[in-house]
Amino acid sequence: MSRDEFLRSIDEILELPPGTLKGTEALDELPLWDSTAMISFMTLADSNNGTRLAPRELGACITVGDLLRIAKVDV
Amino acid sequence: MYGSIRAIEYFLPENVLSTERLAEEFPDWMVAKIDARTGIHSRHISAAGECASDLAVAAAKKLFASGVCAPEQIDFVLLCTQSPDHFLPTTACLVQDRLSIPTSAGALDFNLGSSGYVYGLGLAEGLIQSGQASRVLLLTAETYSKFINRRDRSVRTIFGDGATATLVSGEQAEKPFLGPFVYGSNGSGAAHLIVPAGGLRRPRSAETAVETEDDQGNVRSQDNLCMNGMEIFNFTLSVAPSTVEKLLEKAGLALGDVGLFVFHQANRHILDHLRKRVGIPAEKFVIAMADSGNTGSSSIPIALKKATEEGRVTPGSVVMLVGFGPGYSWGGTLWRA
Repeated sequence: MSRDEFLRSIDEILELPPGTLKGTEALDELPLWDSTAMISFMTLADSNNGTRLAPRELGACITVGDLLRIAKVDV
Repeated sequence: MYGSIRAIEYFLPENVLSTERLAEEFPDWMVAKIDARTGIHSRHISAAGECASDLAVAAAKKLFASGVCAPEQIDFVLLCTQSPDHFLPTTACLVQDRLSIPTSAGALDFNLGSSGYVYGLGLAEGLIQSGQASRVLLLTAETYSKFINRRDRSVRTIFGDGATATLVSGEQAEKPFLGPFVYGSNGSGAAHLIVPAGGLRRPRSAETAVETEDDQGNVRSQDNLCMNGMEIFNFTLSVAPSTVEKLLEKAGLALGDVGLFVFHQANRHILDHLRKRVGIPAEKFVIAMADSGNTGSSSIPIALKKATEEGRVTPGSVVMLVGFGPGYSWGGTLWRA
């Protein structure tokens, strides 16, 4: 999955129009970024390339770009 | 003699907690969102004073009313619960008495969550194959709602109360109906799905009743059910696919030889992902929790009963059952219907 495709999948998890997220957004400013969204993101990472995310690692992310990094998405 | 599942019945408490009602209590959560993510539209909640034995007795009465067997024919009662009526005596003994099952029958409780049905079938098969019993009443009964804080939506949206009764009956056959079995345990995950206080390690007190709010706005105390959803998700991903693999290897079967897969009904999101990860076609995979929620050890037998009623379990077909839950504990088996 390309970076753009991955971002669009995060848009979908957060119920945002496709193309909304660019990577620089702060997670605490995204209203639907909650525990269920985090689990959806873990599913996305696992489906994409089998990356199993540690909850602590995910909890430490500050921006959408951090999510791409820990999910090992080619940036 | 080999044990075979002869009949399943289930009972859900009368009180229903719908997603609409939850959405009224948690206005920042939309009904559609809760439904879509959990696959659960309503959960049944036991009334005050309605305990595991009450639900188990109700399920067993439905089983006997179906005519499949009479209480006096039962020679062993196995009851799986993590929310027993009392520390002691054994809930299975209370159920034996209330159902007028002969006093010559054995009865025991075992404490497991969502893996419990598979373990119960394993115990029943062992009792039957070794000649210790011929008709085992396997019961699962949970009232997790009594542990759940009203303001903890992370668990309140998912869990429901319920009980099931399964007749595992000894039959002459050339090969087993149940098995092989795969089991697994890992107590290092205990803290991720736990009721921390209320046992003897940490009795309930004013201190354990203090409520705290997490960063998602969920409120709970040490007396409540506490779940780390992300850890549980990772645990499930790490054990369910490998359990399927090990079972197939032990049985000398390929994935395509299995007619139906019934996994613990955790929530739709996890089940959808597991199904795709393992490569199971949607038509062979049971998701049946929309009107009952995650009922712990009762979820597999409820889903199996519903699949049977829908004609999805054909005689002679192989059904795979996989459970995973608190402990951590997991297990899987095959049933030749």
